[in-house]
Amino acid sequence: MKKCVGRRAWPSGIVIFLIPLLFLSTLLPSPGVAQIREIHIKAVGGLQFDKVRFKAEPGERIRIILSNADDMFHNMLITKPGKRESVVEAALNLAELGPQLEFIPKTDDVLWSTRVLAPGEEATLEIKVPSSEGIYPYVCTYPGHGTIMFGAMYVTRGDLPDIKEDVNIPEQRRSASLGAGPNAEDHAHHKEEEVWHPYELVPPYWYRIFMPESGPASIAVNLDDSVFYCWDAGLCRLRYVWEDDFLDISEPWSIKGDARAKVLGEIVYRENQFPLDLGFENQDVAYRGYRLVEGGYPEFYYTINGIDIYELIRPLPGQDGIRRRFRIGSGADKVKLNTQSPDKVNLKSSLGTWTGKELEIKQSSPLEFEVEMSW
Amino acid sequence: MRILKWLVISQVFLIQIGCADKTAEESVPLPDTSYIVDSIAMPPGLSGEVGALAFLPSGKLIAAFRRGEVMKYDHENDEWSIFARGLHLPLGLLVRSESEVLVMQYPELTRLKDTDLDGEADVYETVTDDFGLGGNYHEFTYGPVEDKSGNLYIGLNSTSNGGVMMEELRGEINDDGLTEKGLYSAVPYRGWIMMLTPEGELLPFASGFRSPNGLGFDDQGRLWVTDNQGDWVGTSPLYHVEKGKFYGHPPSLAWTENWEGGRPMDKGVEFLDSLRTKAAVLFPHNVMANSPTEPVTVLTDEFGPFNGQLLIGEMNHQRIVRVMVEEVGGKLQGASVPFIDGGGLRKGNNRMVFGPDGALWVGQNASGWAGSSGIQRITFTGKMPVDIQNINITEDGFKLAFTTDMDKSALENPENYSVRSYFYAYHSKYGSDQMDLKDIEIKGVEVSEDGKEVRFGLSPMEKNRVYEIQLNNFQSVAGDSLSNNLICYTINELLE
Repeated sequence: MKKCVGRRAWPSGIVIFLIPLLFLSTLLPSPGVAQIREIHIKAVGGLQFDKVRFKAEPGERIRIILSNADDMFHNMLITKPGKRESVVEAALNLAELGPQLEFIPKTDDVLWSTRVLAPGEEATLEIKVPSSEGIYPYVCTYPGHGTIMFGAMYVTRGDLPDIKEDVNIPEQRRSASLGAGPNAEDHAHHKEEEVWHPYELVPPYWYRIFMPESGPASIAVNLDDSVFYCWDAGLCRLRYVWEDDFLDISEPWSIKGDARAKVLGEIVYRENQFPLDLGFENQDVAYRGYRLVEGGYPEFYYTINGIDIYELIRPLPGQDGIRRRFRIGSGADKVKLNTQSPDKVNLKSSLGTWTGKELEIKQSSPLEFEVEMSW
Repeated sequence: MRILKWLVISQVFLIQIGCADKTAEESVPLPDTSYIVDSIAMPPGLSGEVGALAFLPSGKLIAAFRRGEVMKYDHENDEWSIFARGLHLPLGLLVRSESEVLVMQYPELTRLKDTDLDGEADVYETVTDDFGLGGNYHEFTYGPVEDKSGNLYIGLNSTSNGGVMMEELRGEINDDGLTEKGLYSAVPYRGWIMMLTPEGELLPFASGFRSPNGLGFDDQGRLWVTDNQGDWVGTSPLYHVEKGKFYGHPPSLAWTENWEGGRPMDKGVEFLDSLRTKAAVLFPHNVMANSPTEPVTVLTDEFGPFNGQLLIGEMNHQRIVRVMVEEVGGKLQGASVPFIDGGGLRKGNNRMVFGPDGALWVGQNASGWAGSSGIQRITFTGKMPVDIQNINITEDGFKLAFTTDMDKSALENPENYSVRSYFYAYHSKYGSDQMDLKDIEIKGVEVSEDGKEVRFGLSPMEKNRVYEIQLNNFQSVAGDSLSNNLICYTINELLE
């Protein structure tokens, strides 16, 4: 959901202040500069232009500023209507001559073109838009890019077609803006149609994926389609629990870039510290993996100063919450657990005594206990 | 049998070998192509972007995909089954047994075990995660490949300024490894090839890598690693990787033991150039390959006349490249030629493995770059290809050996050879032009009696350059054109 906060939030005073400025600028003699409309287009990751279409008036003068925000080479050619594919083909056929010609084939079908831009470079095209209305494609003809990296300049006085049905832009751009991915509502709406794997997804299941509010080695677990949690395999601990819907991973799976999965729900519990205390001055925690146990749940395995710890998180039947089972291998004289959970969280344990939020089990390991957390 | 086998494969794309006439519907057909490419049907719902390919002892294929699945494929019965799921960008597989594989995923090397033998892994055991993670999309991890002593090797991609590092990351930050542009190494051992000992210790092995999406051992136990053109990498290279060496991309040097401090980038090109080991083979950009991937060694004569040579996938073209190396003046150097070029092969050739059927299986990927998805299979039909069998440098030029008897008149004509040479600049800029481009004079051509070998002299012959050789009008005695007429030879040392 895009928010239009910027526009609506302008105090009217600023608008009033701007009007005389605009008025002034039209009066001042600034030949050729002030009147030209600027179109900014970026080459971005995933072999895409960030702007896949724009409108121009027939005969209008515009300045297109192409900047390469990607980590590869790109150019941009504007072709005659309907000539994108043949121009891409002609660029490919330049073969070893391609680089010196900036992958621009010598044909009248190419109306304007930029040179090949290295990452971070910028080029400007000042053009007089054709007076005949039509859809003028723009495309990167760097080898391998032309079939997916393109857009359309609509020379028209009319309206643009519905973006969902616009065959002049890349297919994956018709449903979603680049990098935004489907938003939560859209996702829920399309959820039934999307098939992400060659098998049915039956909880519990999980993904190792970049997650918000967690480290780079994270695991997101769907317990039962209503309760979900994020476990950090770097810190070996639970980060948070959420409810409602699981994840939108479409962005990390469809583009290149730092995208994280989106949590499709409300985080109802955050755990802000490592909960176990085995009585050592310094605890050296190392992640060792997980295995599937009864019910198909993952049981995480890590060590604290060499002592084996197994942690299993399951749904809490009939209540909002989770139950956690800890199995502690031999080597600890006593075990403490403190989640620093907020007051709304009810705590229960199969072993030990609570002092406020801290559980203390005065017996030496190996031992096993379960903690119920409900809210 | 092999000759007939190709007939029954559906979805076959024929690779044209020159202008040989195809005679349709003969009763005893002989293959008119040497290699055929067919596509494996993928199950619905699978992204099909292949991160890893291997074969299990049973002969089943095992493959890892972009959305974290590891799937098994029984080719005989055309059946897919799931082995593991939920992995983070798996990009490598090493098979231990029918029920145990190692998988390289973004944050760690993991052992997947099917302990209850129901066909699906139930144990995901961390083998090593002893390297830094910035939480950046470009920190791909590659491998593992194994040497004869049981050491494993993995590759850690450098971090990209195209993204950022997360606030929470894994490993200490070293400011010396940072850069403002291009790829960098600010958490431990990004840009390194690491060695994992059988005892489980992960040790830094070699530095200077930008984006090493391809590790492989050859039949002589040499470790080969490809890298991708970009900052400090003028054109994509193939390195022979040895312990302790630096291969050119500077930021990773910051993690060298006893590094004197300061950013490697600031030490000057001359100093960095003196430290680096150059590529054995350079793949000229837009000529041979733009994004080379996994090197695999041909280990048999069953796949045509290229036993012992390396095949390397290419992401940006419908191409697999073949590499021939030799040792000159104590250094490895050699040439690349297109091996499969089009003919139904897709782009995005990311992973390759020879199957028990003797065919080369190819897995495709894009991950947001140019590429495609799916799995294809390249089968040798038994028809001898008309191709370069080998190339060697001579004192005054090159010697070419062909796979078959060639038409001598074409070989003898110096006008059929066109050669240029150039070098690639070593600089922080993204990629390099072909520098100091020269047309090379052909000085004398000498053809062997049987027409299977030719020596041609060149002037000048200079080291530290690529010689791009175009062969025109070459054909076999039987009238088939040379299937690939482009050779790029990297001269690191001249033959004295």
